[in-house]
Amino acid sequence: MDELELLKKHWKKEDTQYPHVSANAIYKMILKKSSSIVKWVLIISLLEFGLWTSLALFFKGSKSTQNFDKLDSDYLLIPLSVLGYIILAYFFYLFYRNYRRISATDSAKVLMENILRTRKTVKNYVLFNLLFMVASFAAVLYIEFDQDQALINKAHRAAANGEAFMFYAKIILLVAGIIAIFAGVLLLFYWLIYGLLLRKLNKNYKELKKLELLE
Amino acid sequence: MNNELEHNFVALLEEHQNIVHKVCRLYTNHREAHNDLFQEITIQLWKAYPKFRGDAKFSTWMYRVGLNTAITLYRKSKRTINTYELETYQFKLSAEEYDDTEEQQLKLLYDAVHQLNDIEKALVFLYLEDKDYREISVTLGISEVNARVKMNRIKNKLRTILNP
Repeated sequence: MDELELLKKHWKKEDTQYPHVSANAIYKMILKKSSSIVKWVLIISLLEFGLWTSLALFFKGSKSTQNFDKLDSDYLLIPLSVLGYIILAYFFYLFYRNYRRISATDSAKVLMENILRTRKTVKNYVLFNLLFMVASFAAVLYIEFDQDQALINKAHRAAANGEAFMFYAKIILLVAGIIAIFAGVLLLFYWLIYGLLLRKLNKNYKELKKLELLE
Repeated sequence: MNNELEHNFVALLEEHQNIVHKVCRLYTNHREAHNDLFQEITIQLWKAYPKFRGDAKFSTWMYRVGLNTAITLYRKSKRTINTYELETYQFKLSAEEYDDTEEQQLKLLYDAVHQLNDIEKALVFLYLEDKDYREISVTLGISEVNARVKMNRIKNKLRTILNP
């Protein structure tokens, strides 16, 4: 006899063997908070949006930029931050739309795809931020070299001593170092949070995708 | 209004709760995990209930939400699973109905099913619930042909697990 047929025969008889959950217990259950991964994806995503926005505000208000503020930088930095906020709003809209689409009543595959899509929006936003950070650094450096007399003098002195290469190499290394640290922290964060949170989902999604290749 | 919704939902779920129990039966292997998953499925069903139109059967609708929760949404909230000695299911089979060998065989079968991956368990679950390949394909989002091919492979896999 087919193994599953034996199980099926028994499966139907098992109905009476489960502990009965009373209506009262069900009432209590629906008051409890869900611990689904969707909730965690939402929380972590909002934290990420918040982190990047507060990081931008922090840099804007910090003392280290006061010296820089004396320079004529508005023509470049204002459009840049306006662009930043427009893109934030756009990503947030995409995220919200994708998030609303997640429904437990879809097919297993569509549900997984919607969760992964929501995730991807946030990932793209973070990637955008890294690029935006590089662009901002470039803009700031450009303004500094264009207008900051102290820095221009330093550059001239370095050039006169034949150390121009060293001087620029140091600056480039410093900037690259800061960006690398940021990217490193992000990667670690991703590896930890999403690796653990979405491991099961990714595995099952791959399994479903494999089924498409069966024919 | 909200109270009425709640009341209807609880009544329907109380009546059809075995579907949830059976999902838990395949996806968990001890009582505590069973109850934890039962609770999460109940919460997900309740969250989705306002959108339940009644054009599908309540039970069919439950299959989807139940399996989606087990496969995708659910995160184990307790870490005791697999670390302590498991209090395995003890389904009392009445002696008249089953002889020892059949009981033994069933235990082996359930153990084998527990070794399948989450997607395979979903196919087995729907198969045990007597669903046709069309419904299996719609529930999982795969084609009917693939559901059929996969089901045959699962049967072979179970056979290999049982007769190594």
